[in-house]
Amino acid sequence: MFNQGGLSMEQAPPVMVVLRFFVTASVFGVLLGFYLMGSVANFLPHNEYAFQVTVIHLLSLGVMASFMLGALFQMLPVIAGVVIKTPTNKATVVNILLIIGLSSQIFAFGTASSSLYLLASISLGIGLLYAMTMMLKEVIAIKDHSTSSKGMLFALSSFFIAIVLGLYLLLTLGGYLDGAYFKELKEIHYSFALFGWLTLLIVSISFQVVEMFYVTPKYPTLMSQYLVNTIFTLLVIKTVMIFMGLDSAFINILLSLLFILYAGVTIHRLYRRKRPTSDATVWFWRLGMGLLIVSMFIHLLSNIVVLNNQIMGISYVTFIGFSLSIVFAMVYKIVPFLVWFHLSNQGYMEAPMMFDVIHPKRAKIHFKIHLAMLTLWILSIVFQLDEVFLIIPSFLLTLSFGWLLYHLIMAIRKHNYTQKYTEKIEW
Amino acid sequence: MTKITLDAREMEHPIPLQLALGHLQKMGQEEYLYMIHRKKPIPLIELAKEKEFLYLVKQDTQEVWHILIAKNQNIKLEELVDV
Repeated sequence: MFNQGGLSMEQAPPVMVVLRFFVTASVFGVLLGFYLMGSVANFLPHNEYAFQVTVIHLLSLGVMASFMLGALFQMLPVIAGVVIKTPTNKATVVNILLIIGLSSQIFAFGTASSSLYLLASISLGIGLLYAMTMMLKEVIAIKDHSTSSKGMLFALSSFFIAIVLGLYLLLTLGGYLDGAYFKELKEIHYSFALFGWLTLLIVSISFQVVEMFYVTPKYPTLMSQYLVNTIFTLLVIKTVMIFMGLDSAFINILLSLLFILYAGVTIHRLYRRKRPTSDATVWFWRLGMGLLIVSMFIHLLSNIVVLNNQIMGISYVTFIGFSLSIVFAMVYKIVPFLVWFHLSNQGYMEAPMMFDVIHPKRAKIHFKIHLAMLTLWILSIVFQLDEVFLIIPSFLLTLSFGWLLYHLIMAIRKHNYTQKYTEKIEW
Repeated sequence: MTKITLDAREMEHPIPLQLALGHLQKMGQEEYLYMIHRKKPIPLIELAKEKEFLYLVKQDTQEVWHILIAKNQNIKLEELVDV
């Protein structure tokens, strides 16, 4: 959908390739909300470890990886000029294995069942490694890399590493491996998943889309050329240091500083837009970058002084807020464009315009729900409110994903309705 | 020949593509689209190629892209570009 890498109309994946991942992500988001509400209301058996890893993986795999994979199927042909052949079949396989794998993983965390851990390892291993090798193979083959395609290479490599390490952890939890390096590999797994995969992908895509979507000045060349490589290199150095038993706090501080710098530059770029208009997606970007700064500032401090759980909790919530904000900003740009573009290109003169697919006012309402949810989570941590109070932000989280899910389904219905009931012209 | 001008230099993506596509779908034999853009609009160019439109893409010294697209294959776009 962007004009940098040689998009061919024939290469653009069918709408449903992308939307099936977005719908999956929204459904997992709704389930996460229900899970949180159930836990707060004591409807679910409480096991602190199982609760934490369930929430983390519902968010990181169910929500974030689903959104990211859908976006990659759309963006790789466009940003990187990469052709993914038979995308519908490939997306279906990856999507189904991700759903089976994550569902069995969540139940494995709750029941500690060895067979479920094995099923999760097999499904996630095959599904995600298949997706990563398929995409990595194409990205590696690019001859003339742009800053975004190079960034994607590092982000995909990070996800590959995170998946392999995650499989080791799952098989250890299932009793299939002795887990001699469990603690070390767990830290590396989280570093590559959160900083390498998730954040690097957002950073590399932003170099392209922020300027494109919002008519901002370009990112400084130094940043767009070297930031992603530097972060990836620091993650590799951190891995080596952890294995050597060395303190990697200095690397964590550097990573935090780089992310703060990046977020600051992005906010600055957004304030220097040439034609500022009120658009929810800009607010999602601003909020996301602001939250990244807060999260990384706390992360930086935590590597210098000991911080209490309360402050660390704010760091986690703001990091989650950052990643969700950017994903929502992207979804509200991608979905209306995709539906309109595919229908128009096929010659449907009555194709809904982008604001008819998902009206910008609906995105603004979502932004308010999202902001209220994050504010209440942070307030509940800051003021150490009674656990019962968490039912409200948990409900808002459910509402946030439910809102998006409803609009995605409506977008799909509008797309299908136009194809079925309106006339097509040859042009 | 009627020139349809589209200055997309300060338009947010994907408005330029949306406007250009609208023009191309209604374009007559005696018309051509003259688009000015800060980026090379590859999706539009690929689309013009696939729909067998005549097109010309040039970048000026200010790094501004000039994109000319016509349905009529006999138009000499080289003579119409202002670079």
